[in-house]
Amino acid sequence: MSSAAEKAFEELKETVGRVTVDNPKMQAKNVDVFYGDKQAIFDVTCDIGKNEVIAMIGPSGCGKSTFLRCMNRMNDTIPSCRVGGDILLEGDSLYSSSVDPVMLRARVGMVFQKPNPFAKSIYDNVAYGPRIHGLANNRAELDDIVESSLQRAGLFDEVKDRLNAPGTSLSGGQQQRLCIARTIAVNPEVILMDEPCSALDPIATARIEELIDELRENYAIAIVTHSMQQAARVSQRTAYFHLGKLVEVGETKTIFTNPTHELTENYITGRFG
Amino acid sequence: MSNNTTEKVRASLQKRYFKEKVFRSIGVVAIVASLSFLVVLLGSIIYKGYPAFKASYIQLDVTLTEETLDVSADAEDSELRRANYLGAIRTALRERFPEVTKRGDKRNLYRLISSGAEYALSDFMMEDRSRFGQTHSLWLLADDEADALLKRNKDLTKPIRTGENAKNKDALITRLNTDQLGWLQSFKEAGETDVRLASTFFTNGDSREAEQAGIRAALIGSAYTLLITFVLSFPIAVAAAIYLEEFAPQNKFTDIVEVNINNLAAVPSIVFGLLGLAVFINYLQLPRSAPVVGGIVLSLMTLPTIIISSRAALKAVPPSIREAARGLGASPVQVVTHHVLPLAMPGILTGTIIGLAQALGETAPLLMIGMVAFIVDIPNSVTDPATVLPVQVFLWADAPERAFTERTSGAILVLLAFLVVMNLTAVLLRKKFERRW
Repeated sequence: MSSAAEKAFEELKETVGRVTVDNPKMQAKNVDVFYGDKQAIFDVTCDIGKNEVIAMIGPSGCGKSTFLRCMNRMNDTIPSCRVGGDILLEGDSLYSSSVDPVMLRARVGMVFQKPNPFAKSIYDNVAYGPRIHGLANNRAELDDIVESSLQRAGLFDEVKDRLNAPGTSLSGGQQQRLCIARTIAVNPEVILMDEPCSALDPIATARIEELIDELRENYAIAIVTHSMQQAARVSQRTAYFHLGKLVEVGETKTIFTNPTHELTENYITGRFG
Repeated sequence: MSNNTTEKVRASLQKRYFKEKVFRSIGVVAIVASLSFLVVLLGSIIYKGYPAFKASYIQLDVTLTEETLDVSADAEDSELRRANYLGAIRTALRERFPEVTKRGDKRNLYRLISSGAEYALSDFMMEDRSRFGQTHSLWLLADDEADALLKRNKDLTKPIRTGENAKNKDALITRLNTDQLGWLQSFKEAGETDVRLASTFFTNGDSREAEQAGIRAALIGSAYTLLITFVLSFPIAVAAAIYLEEFAPQNKFTDIVEVNINNLAAVPSIVFGLLGLAVFINYLQLPRSAPVVGGIVLSLMTLPTIIISSRAALKAVPPSIREAARGLGASPVQVVTHHVLPLAMPGILTGTIIGLAQALGETAPLLMIGMVAFIVDIPNSVTDPATVLPVQVFLWADAPERAFTERTSGAILVLLAFLVVMNLTAVLLRKKFERRW
C-alpha cells in the first residue's frame, strides 16, 4: 500500500457512497465485531435491498466474510466472537433476545465457500431443511419441494435419474448447485453466499452466476467474492471492505468505472489485493 | 549456473536413493519380525492347545443289574439316579481283565477311566429305564493321563521315562505304570479306544479332573461381563464425548475434566479392581465374584478409551458439515444426531471394540473382586458367581496336571476366537454404517 493510500485509510471516518437503500431487506447499523481483543470489523453500516445482489469485495482478511456471517449469526458458535451494533431483518433486530438463531437461519440461508453436501442422497440433502422445519405435510409435498428447488438451482435435469445417489458423488459445480438447492428448499428471504465459486472452474462458475441472477427475482442476495469480474457481472451494488472498514458502497457500475475513494480505485485497478 | 545445479543434484541423488533403500528395508524387516513373532506365538499355542479339543474314550461292556448297581429294578427315579454306577464300571473293568486280582492292581486299573464316567452312566440309565437289567457296550471318558497318551497316538509299548532311562528321549512321559500301559495297549489292540471331538470342553464348567474341565462357565461369565461393560460404558462414554466435543464451553473445568480422562486411561487396571472391591462389594454390598461387579469395574476401565477415541472420531468430522446443517437452521442437537454422530459412528465403534477387547483380556481387576473363584456351575444371570476366560487361563496355567497345560492353550485359543468374532462384528457394523452414509 502506498503511503498516500495508507494515509487515506487512516483518515477514513465514514463510508463513501450511499449505504442505505429505499427498500431495505436487511440493515447493518454500526456493526463492530471482535475476536477476543482483536477487532475485525469497525463500525460498518450497510443495507441490503430487496431483490438485489450486493457484492462484497476486498483484499484477504478485510472482514467481508466475517460481516456476512454476522447476518445469520453463524459467528455465535465461535466462543470468543462478540458483535456490537445492530443488524435488522425487516426492521427487527437479529441480536435481540427474542430472536432464535435457528429460526433466523431458516429465514437467512447460507451457501459456503467449499461445496459441503451432507453425506446423504441428493434427495435427502435437499429435503433435509424442509424436514427439520416441518415444511411439507406429506411425501408428495416434499417431493415437490425437492424437485422445484433442484429445478431452480438448475440441477434437476442432471440428477433426476439418480436422486438416491450420494450428494458427494456429484462434481464440484454440481455439488455447489446442490448446496444452493438445499438452501432455497427452506425458502429463505435472504441468501448469503461466501465465495460460492472459489472452488469451481469457469464453466461451473458461469452456471452459478446465471443462477444467482435468476434467484434475484425472489431473494435478497449478499455475495462475498474475490473476483472483481464476478462482482461486476452478478451484482447491482458493490461494497468495498478494507482492513475491517467498509470503505465504499455504490452502484456496481459506478464502483468499477468511477470509484470515489483512493483505496477502492487502487484495488479495482489491481494495485494491491 | 544451471549446469552446476544439475551436477549437484546428480551427486546427491545416489545418496538419497540409498537412504530410501535403507528406510524401506528397515520397514520390511520390522514387518517380517513382528509377523514371525506372531506366527511363532500362535503356532505354539495352537500346537499345544489343539489336543484340548479332543478327548479319548474307552469302550466297556457295562452290565446294569440289581447286582452291579445295588438297587432293585422297581426303585424310585431318585434312588436309581444315585445307584452305584461306579461299582458297575469297576465290575466291567474286572470282567475285562479277570487276571487282575491284587487290590493295588485293581485300584490302578480303575484309574484308567475318568471319575466323571459314573455320572455319564447315570445319565445314560435315566434316559431310558428299560436299559436296566441288560449289558451295554458303552464309550466311557478316559482319565487324563490315559487320554494324553491315546490322543497323541503314542506307542504304549515303549518304556516309561523314569530314574534309569531319564535320558531316553524316546521314552514315554506319563504318570501311569507299566501295568496300566499294558491294559491300555490291550484296549487299543482290541479297537476299544477312540479319540473324538471333546464336546465336554465346551459344555462343562471347571473341574478338578483335567479331562472333565471345560470353559463353558468362563465363556458365559465373559459374555455376561462384557455385556454389562458394553451396556454401561458405550452410552456413557459416547454421551461424555459428544458433550465435551460439541457442547461444552472451553474453560478451566472442561480442561480439568479432559486431563483427568486422559490420566484415567493410564491408571493400572488393578487399581480399578481395588476400587470395585471397596465401593461395589464392601460398601454397596453387591455380590462377590459376579459378572455385574466385574462389568462395572471393567467399564470404568474402558470408559476413558472409548471417550478418547470417540472424541477423535467426532473431531474428524469436517466442520463444514456442521456449518451446513447449522446454516439450514438445524438446532445443535439436530446437527449432532443427524450429521456428526452418523459420520463419527465408524470411529466410535472401532474405539468401543478396542476398549471391549481390552476388557475381555483383563485379569488383574477381576482377581480383586473375587472372580478368580473355582466355578463349576454355569452362571445363569449376571449376579451368579462366575469367572472369565483370562482368569480361567490363569487358574489352569497354575494347575500341576499336564492335561491342564493343553487346556490352558485351548482356553487361550477360545479367547482369541472370541476376540476375532468381536472384531469381525465391529468391521461388519462399520461397513454397514459406511454404506448408509
